[in-house]
Amino acid sequence: MSPGRSTASPRTPPESARLSTEIRLAVEQVSYAYSANPTQAPLFTLEATSFQARPGEIVAILGPNASGKSTLLQLIAGVLQPLSGRILLNGFVIHSLSPRNRAQRIAMVQQESRLLFPARVWEFVLQGRHAHGRSLRFESSDDILITQNALAQVGAAALSDRLMDQISGGEKQRVILARAIAQQPLLLLLDEPTLHLDIAAQVGLLDALRRLSAQNRYTVVVVTHELNLAAEYADQILLMQSGRCLRVGPPALIYQRELLEQVFQVPLKVEMRGHGRPRVTILSDS
Amino acid sequence: MKTTLPPRLRPAALAAFVAFLCAAAPSHAQSATHPPTEPPPFREVVDETGRTVRIPQPVRRIVSLAPSLTETIYALGLQDRLVGDTDDCDYPPDAQKKTKVGGGINPSLEVIASLHPDLVLATKSFNRPETTHALDQLGIASYATDPHSVADIIASTKTLADVLGVPEAGASVAEEMQHRLADLQQRLEDLPPKRVLFVVWTQPLISTGQHTFLADALHYAGAISIVDSSRDWPQVNLEEVARLQPDLLVFAESQPGSTSREMEKLAILPAWKILHAVRDRRYAAISDAVNRPAPRIVSAIEELARQLHPAAFAEKPSDSKKESEKENPPSRPVALRASSPNLFPPHRYSSSMGGCACSR
Amino acid sequence: MQPLTFRKLLFHCLLLLIILFLVVVVALKFGAVPVSLYALGRDLLRVVLGQSSQMSSDYGLIIQNIRLPRIILGILVGASLSVAGTSFQALLRNPLADPYVLGVSSGAALGAIFALIAEPHLTLPPVFAALLTPLCAFLGAAATITAVYFLGRREGQIDSTTLLLGGVITASFLSAIITFLMSTVNSGNTRGMVFWLMGNLSTSFQKSTYWFLAAGFVAATGVIYASANDLNLLLSGEKEAMHLGVDVRRVRFVVYIAASLLTGLAVSVSGAVGYVGLIVPHVMRLIYGSDHRTLIPAAALGGAIAVVIADTLARIVVAPSELAVGAVTAVAGAPLFIYLLRRRPA
Repeated sequence: MSPGRSTASPRTPPESARLSTEIRLAVEQVSYAYSANPTQAPLFTLEATSFQARPGEIVAILGPNASGKSTLLQLIAGVLQPLSGRILLNGFVIHSLSPRNRAQRIAMVQQESRLLFPARVWEFVLQGRHAHGRSLRFESSDDILITQNALAQVGAAALSDRLMDQISGGEKQRVILARAIAQQPLLLLLDEPTLHLDIAAQVGLLDALRRLSAQNRYTVVVVTHELNLAAEYADQILLMQSGRCLRVGPPALIYQRELLEQVFQVPLKVEMRGHGRPRVTILSDS
Repeated sequence: MKTTLPPRLRPAALAAFVAFLCAAAPSHAQSATHPPTEPPPFREVVDETGRTVRIPQPVRRIVSLAPSLTETIYALGLQDRLVGDTDDCDYPPDAQKKTKVGGGINPSLEVIASLHPDLVLATKSFNRPETTHALDQLGIASYATDPHSVADIIASTKTLADVLGVPEAGASVAEEMQHRLADLQQRLEDLPPKRVLFVVWTQPLISTGQHTFLADALHYAGAISIVDSSRDWPQVNLEEVARLQPDLLVFAESQPGSTSREMEKLAILPAWKILHAVRDRRYAAISDAVNRPAPRIVSAIEELARQLHPAAFAEKPSDSKKESEKENPPSRPVALRASSPNLFPPHRYSSSMGGCACSR
Repeated sequence: MQPLTFRKLLFHCLLLLIILFLVVVVALKFGAVPVSLYALGRDLLRVVLGQSSQMSSDYGLIIQNIRLPRIILGILVGASLSVAGTSFQALLRNPLADPYVLGVSSGAALGAIFALIAEPHLTLPPVFAALLTPLCAFLGAAATITAVYFLGRREGQIDSTTLLLGGVITASFLSAIITFLMSTVNSGNTRGMVFWLMGNLSTSFQKSTYWFLAAGFVAATGVIYASANDLNLLLSGEKEAMHLGVDVRRVRFVVYIAASLLTGLAVSVSGAVGYVGLIVPHVMRLIYGSDHRTLIPAAALGGAIAVVIADTLARIVVAPSELAVGAVTAVAGAPLFIYLLRRRPA
């Protein structure tokens, strides 16, 4: 374990001290266009988007379907190449990194993937160590320690020897998170991690995420549809609509009734709660 | 005279087929009733596959559906009555100029009908029964042969000559074949048969079984195949061959010189080098004609016998009607000129008799 | 939690190696010509000691010149096909992928048949003429791979489904051409071609061919094995693998080429020995799991064992005649495959 990344203090620091001034992730005027055929007009465009995030900060990307949330996440992950602009991680351009170097710094938690052949939970989490060694090798005792640690951090140590297709959806999502932790990343990306989870599992996952980002100083970027969970857990909200980033800022600034109604096309009510976190209630037409 | 083929219609075009049936049937009826003065001259015979066929007499227009039958027709001197044959009929060279009715497996019924044959000749091992059935439907008489041995070929030739109305020619061809085989037998009488490996194909090694023309022909030529299999074209284990160590390898030669090339190819392979016959280049080539149940098979047998037993031909020069024969070195697979006008010009072997194809 | 260690891998491989050795001894013993185990041991020792000149008997020569080379050919062909099948399955994330499904074998077969047709018309020195068929088979395999590879590209990326479908279509297209050639070309001997298409190990080659085959196998398998961990990650999907640090494009290209090379080599010397590339990886996965660090060597050894057994059966079942080994593998493989398919959890 490299000392720079894992020297997390065991107790959660106070809110004010938690966010450092150091910029970890900088998205600078990034745009993207997707077209099935290079001669045709693009089917989808992402207009120039910029934001910054610091270590330990959780950024939530919100927006209706086809607003460009996942595209932005893929750009940050380095899987898509931006049309213009650049994305810096600790000052390095993400797209100039090799896949291996990128995976040492960025971990992605995707909606569950189907496995071709059944694997054990520990085998799955061990995959996170791939980028940290040579291509053909046997796992070191360090790798095993980190794997066990990662499983413990998400409270899934007991699942270690179970098969991946024999655990529940919530457990599986935590195991996928454990694999991302085993990657020891600087930047943790999550694509709708709470999808298909029951409420307890959603809260459990996000609590774990908040704890981890504080402990391990991860910068977290999460794409979600859950307005209230985002309001509760995120430090920064990125509000998107049809390929455009409308606004970036803390939840209290973004959660305004007119703005949200215009973006999500439903009548709703926004209440501000005591600790500065807003809450949204969807109003039915009747 | 150059006959132009009528356009071949796709069998799938049903309309065309129906139109063809309508057109063909009356035209045949017309040709059958052409000589109105005579009573309908038909002759009923049972062919070699057991079918009873009514054959219009005399047979003036013949279509042959197999190379062996084409050769037989030429041997009987009936080439002028042959109005059509298959793509595979390449011997004698003149046969290539006849109107082609397609391949033996799938001849064009339209072309056959358009030739207005009195009789279509087929052979069981080369043609499909569906073809003769279809000809029956069209009212075209067909006669099928089915010989299984060299003796069968002689008998079959005789019967066929009789059906075609030339029994004398049949008798003389049969007699000549018998005479030549008897002469051969006399020469080889005191000689032990050579143990040979007949090579149909080298990699994998495919040889011939006991119940083929080849086995019979080898026997007549003073040879015995080391392969004892009831299957016609068995794949043979090379180990077994190495254990039995044949005296010679025999190839059916499709092109002049192909055998010696084949032999050189084998001689560099470790597995084949352990055969003494390969090491010492002891081999013989036999004409493709062995694969055709036609009179020419006798020439092929003689040719092979000369290569296998040169001594038998050196000691007792032939007293029969053979033309100038030069002695050949034992293992030179030169296309020999056997007796009779059946020469072996370099030709492309093309048919695959009875589903077999032996030409390497 | 028991991660794979080098010692464990060695243990698995050693076990399979012992089985392979026993199978080879049995294969050496049985055949058209009977050999006692004692004579076998003595002769093998002489071969090892380089005193093969002392084996003057024909039996010794049969073992050394026919049976042993054939077993070695079986080992190389089985191992190549099996490793190629394993790689294609991981690469395309499809357990049904194998060299035959992808049309590579048909391409090789077509190349070989072209050689068989053309060869009588060419005047070549014997050394080259003997190599013509394998060479053309390899070229046919390479050409098919390239064609299928481009067929399977969509938007500059390999799409597994498109690639598989492209392979299936290419295979049937090439088979149609082969059928067409066999029924129309007169010069050739269709019987020989059919036997060749069914897969056959009875072909004999010069010594250099075996070395060439072995070298090709070691090189291509080495390249694939170097990407074993990448292939493990590819099993969870290309995007996932990308996020975990796999250079997906490079791995896919390199492994695809290497696996195709293995197929081309195998088919060029043995014809189409079917089901080995499909069944053996499946069975090995059931036994050893899907970690390619174990799976690739296990599949190589398992493929060798399977083909040597199949070929021994092909040699002795109807002795002194023999069967095509492809017929044996198909007869054994097809029902086994259906069994594996049925017992797989949905």
